[in-house]
Amino acid sequence: MKVHLKIKRFNPEKDKKPYWGEYDIEADESDRVLDALQTVKWTIDGALNFRRSCAHGICGSDAMRINGRNALACKLLIRDAVHNGAITVEPILGLPLIKDLIVDMEPFFAHYRAVMPFLVNNNEPGERERLQSQEQRARYDDGTKCILCACCTTSCPSFWARGEYVGPAAIVQAHRFIFDSRDEGAADRLEVLVEPDGVWRCRTVFNCTEVCPRDIQVTKLIGEVKQALVTGKID
Amino acid sequence: MGTLFTTVRDTLRYKGREGQWLWVLHRISGLGILFYLILHVYDMSLAYFNVPVHEQMIALFKTPLFSVLELALAVLLIFHAVNGVRVALLDLRPELWAKQQLATRLALIITVVIAAPTIIIMIIYTINAHLGPVATTIAR
Repeated sequence: MKVHLKIKRFNPEKDKKPYWGEYDIEADESDRVLDALQTVKWTIDGALNFRRSCAHGICGSDAMRINGRNALACKLLIRDAVHNGAITVEPILGLPLIKDLIVDMEPFFAHYRAVMPFLVNNNEPGERERLQSQEQRARYDDGTKCILCACCTTSCPSFWARGEYVGPAAIVQAHRFIFDSRDEGAADRLEVLVEPDGVWRCRTVFNCTEVCPRDIQVTKLIGEVKQALVTGKID
Repeated sequence: MGTLFTTVRDTLRYKGREGQWLWVLHRISGLGILFYLILHVYDMSLAYFNVPVHEQMIALFKTPLFSVLELALAVLLIFHAVNGVRVALLDLRPELWAKQQLATRLALIITVVIAAPTIIIMIIYTINAHLGPVATTIAR
C-alpha cells in the first residue's frame, strides 16, 4: 500500500525551527512504522535521524509521537497507524530536541536514578538467595515490565509543565522496589517521592497508562505509591 | 509564564484521550472559580471600606452580561466539584483504574444532570429579575 509519511525534521546546524518532511513510500500493511522510517532513511533521505536498536519492542529506543500520540515505532503496525493514507511522526514532548526525532533523554534518566532503582538491603544474605513467595513476587510484577522508553513520562501534562517532576516512569521504577519484600530502601525512595516534584504532581490524567507499550497500569502503580505515602503502610 | 505557554502548546500538540481533556476542563473551571472568588472577596471588602464603589459594582453585577457569567460560574462549579470527586476516588482507590473511561463519562453525565435543572431555575430567576412579572407568570 502507498503511505504518505509526514515526519517532523530538524537539523540544529541548518534550521531555525522544525518543519514537516513529506515522503511517499510503498509499505506492507503488516509492516511497522519503524520499517517505514527505515525505508525513508535507506532509499530517500539518509540524513533522517531516529533512535532504534532491537526493533522488537524490548529496548525502548524508538518512542515517538505517531499521529499525535506516543508509541514505539517498532510495535505499531502501518495498518493501525495509517489514517487517510497518511502517518505523522514527531519527537516525544517535554525533552530537549536534538535532531529530527531524537531528543535528549538525560533529564529522563536523571529522574530514574533519583528514585534509587536498585535493590537496597544491607543484611548479609548468607550462602543462599533472598527467598520470596509467589505472592510477594507478583506484588511488584507489573513494574518489572518497564523498558524505560519514556512514552509515559513524555505523555504527561505535569511533565510538560515542569521538567523537574520525576514523572511516571521513575515512579513505576520506585514502585518496583518499594513493594519488593526483599528491599529495605522504601523510606529513602518515599522521601524523594513525597517532595513537591514527586508523586503529588500526578493529576491522574491517565495519558501514561494509555500509551505504555508494555501495558503497565502506570496510574494504578502511582496511586499505590500515593497510598503508601498517605497511610504509611506498604502492603 | 513560560511554563503556562509550554503546557498549553504541548497539550494542543498531544492527542490525549478523555482524561487529558477533563484535566484541561478542570484547570479552566478552577481558574474561573478562582477569578470569581477574588472578585467576590474584593467586592465584599468594599462594602466596608468603600461603600459607593461597592454599590457601583453591585449595579454592574445586575447587568445581563453578569447574569450570563453567573450561569457559566454555576456550570464550572458543578463540573469542578464532580470531576474533583472522580479524581479523588481514582487516587484513593487505584484498583479502579480500569474503570477510568466509565468514570469520565459518569462525571460528565452527573455534571449535566445537576447543571441542567440548576441552569433552568437560574434562567427563570434571571429573566424574572430583568423583565419582571411576565417571567414570573411563565415560571408559574
